[in-house]
Amino acid sequence: MFDLLTSYTLFSLSTVMGFVALATLLHLQFGLAGIVNFGVVGFWGLGMYAFGVLLIQFEVPYPLAMLLAVAIVAAVSLLIGWVIVDLNDQAVLVATLAFGTIVTSLVTTEKWLTEGVVGLGSVPYPVETGDGALWQFVVLTAVTAAIVIYAARIAKTPYGRLLAAKRDNEPLARGLGKNTSRHKLTIFVITCALMGFVGTLSAPVHRFLTPDLIGPGVTFSAWIALIVGGKRHPLGGVLGVALTIFVFDFVIETYVPVPSEHAATVTVIKTIVYGVTLIVALMFRPLGLLGPGRKRGSR
Amino acid sequence: MLELRGIRSGYGDVTILKDVDLTVEAEIFAVLGANGAGKSTLMRTIARLLAVEAGDLRFRGEDVTAVAPNRLAEMGISLVPQEANIFPNLTVRENLSLGTMFGTRSSRSRIDEVFDLFPDIAARADQKAGSLSGGESQMVAFGRALAQEPRLMLLDEPTTGLSPKYVNLLLEKVRQIHDSHGVAILLAEQNAVKALEVASRVLVLSLGKVYLDSPVSETDLEAIQGGYHI
Ligand SMILES: Nc1ncnc2c1ncn2[C@@H]1O[C@H](COP(=O)(O)OP(=O)(O)OP(=O)(O)O)[C@@H](O)[C@H]1O
Ligand SMILES: [Mg+2]
Repeated sequence: MFDLLTSYTLFSLSTVMGFVALATLLHLQFGLAGIVNFGVVGFWGLGMYAFGVLLIQFEVPYPLAMLLAVAIVAAVSLLIGWVIVDLNDQAVLVATLAFGTIVTSLVTTEKWLTEGVVGLGSVPYPVETGDGALWQFVVLTAVTAAIVIYAARIAKTPYGRLLAAKRDNEPLARGLGKNTSRHKLTIFVITCALMGFVGTLSAPVHRFLTPDLIGPGVTFSAWIALIVGGKRHPLGGVLGVALTIFVFDFVIETYVPVPSEHAATVTVIKTIVYGVTLIVALMFRPLGLLGPGRKRGSR
Repeated sequence: MLELRGIRSGYGDVTILKDVDLTVEAEIFAVLGANGAGKSTLMRTIARLLAVEAGDLRFRGEDVTAVAPNRLAEMGISLVPQEANIFPNLTVRENLSLGTMFGTRSSRSRIDEVFDLFPDIAARADQKAGSLSGGESQMVAFGRALAQEPRLMLLDEPTTGLSPKYVNLLLEKVRQIHDSHGVAILLAEQNAVKALEVASRVLVLSLGKVYLDSPVSETDLEAIQGGYHI
């Protein structure tokens, strides 16, 4: 059966899997905790590049490079989280979006560290046998599954209820004695660090790290998937990615024979379909396919 | 128990409360005044949800002018805001359990007590609070404040939307927790007659200032109404 899993198929599936993880982490940040993180790509990309730079430029051993990269993302997200924790939604959106943009532009300009647009590489798999790509996919899937299970569990814990309470009415939650800022910061740092971790796992999938891998499209794709699937549901990210990114980046690219001169058209169509899907979803199911239908008092 | 000295507060550049002095002992203190007089602003200020611009705020001898609102809950202050006083996406039971973070008795026994008091919401224990009627939401909000085992309750028009039967039940409960546990209660109300039935002291606010502060026994409706026509 592994014949089916050509290296290109594995590459596409690994990319899709990374998005499932990112969209589910975004569910925890936005759907559960109400943090409007528009800098998803920054945390993921920082993890990916920090890992690549440590591994290749500084020849840090593989597992240590991963660990350090995640620690760097955690430290940066702690700093950002500390700044945004008590800001309103618009300010959080702008701040995180700016962060994502800064990461992309630093990666492009700081050539001495990142090789810029030339590309940093090649990032090897942890095990350089013939099955490296397959194993990487398996590991990514396992990590993603763990994140989804964590998301499904947390909603039912007192901590999850607290985050939902804070999201819906912060002053009231504070008045009940909850240190809402601290809880918000904790979940933000954990989920951002996990985005960075997913980034370290994505690095060998792409092999050569270039700035165009970490454009704003990553953030938008994760957002669209989550909104379509259902921001409040732990499986919202899974369903959303399956219906959007999986369809375009895997099904169509792999099984629909698009003549190469029309390849660019597919990208354009994809963007249009994403946009239309998002608008339709927001109009008819503001809480996504897995959310309840439109009802009084919901938002 | 609670002391306000020269309190000034408001929203951003707009000052609402001007030089408010108030001392609340372990008593039921009615807060009256016309719409917009500043009753809710007073409640929010005491709960530290609004910054104090001037003056100081003491609770049980401790200066709380600058403490975080979540610390006040720990010290024994519970607030039932006038609006948005429930978590719509949590169930009734989850709403109540959020009130049981501090205090001595088990969370479950406190929640059961609320359900005994208000059977209507017991029947909806596992329903999302966002789907409750206005009166039912008030019962949840008041029940959650009770479950906090507070020393001071700030009740901002808690009887709004309740049927007469429940207005009486709620005010009776207010009287009872005051009598049995010495809980101090600051009760903002539109229904002056009902409020004065349970209160021993009354504050009338007018345009953000104290118009009247007196024991209920030493004043009458006519004097109080003066604060509504300025
Ligand atoms: N968030 C706010 N921003 C600016 N001004 C506000 C805000 N909330 C209330 N105010 C103003 O503060 C004044 C006092 O309002 P407050 O809500 O304290 O009155 P109230 O006595 O509780 O009235 P009601 O009986 O209608 O509840 C009003 O003039 C109101 O317009
Ligand atoms: Mg009011």
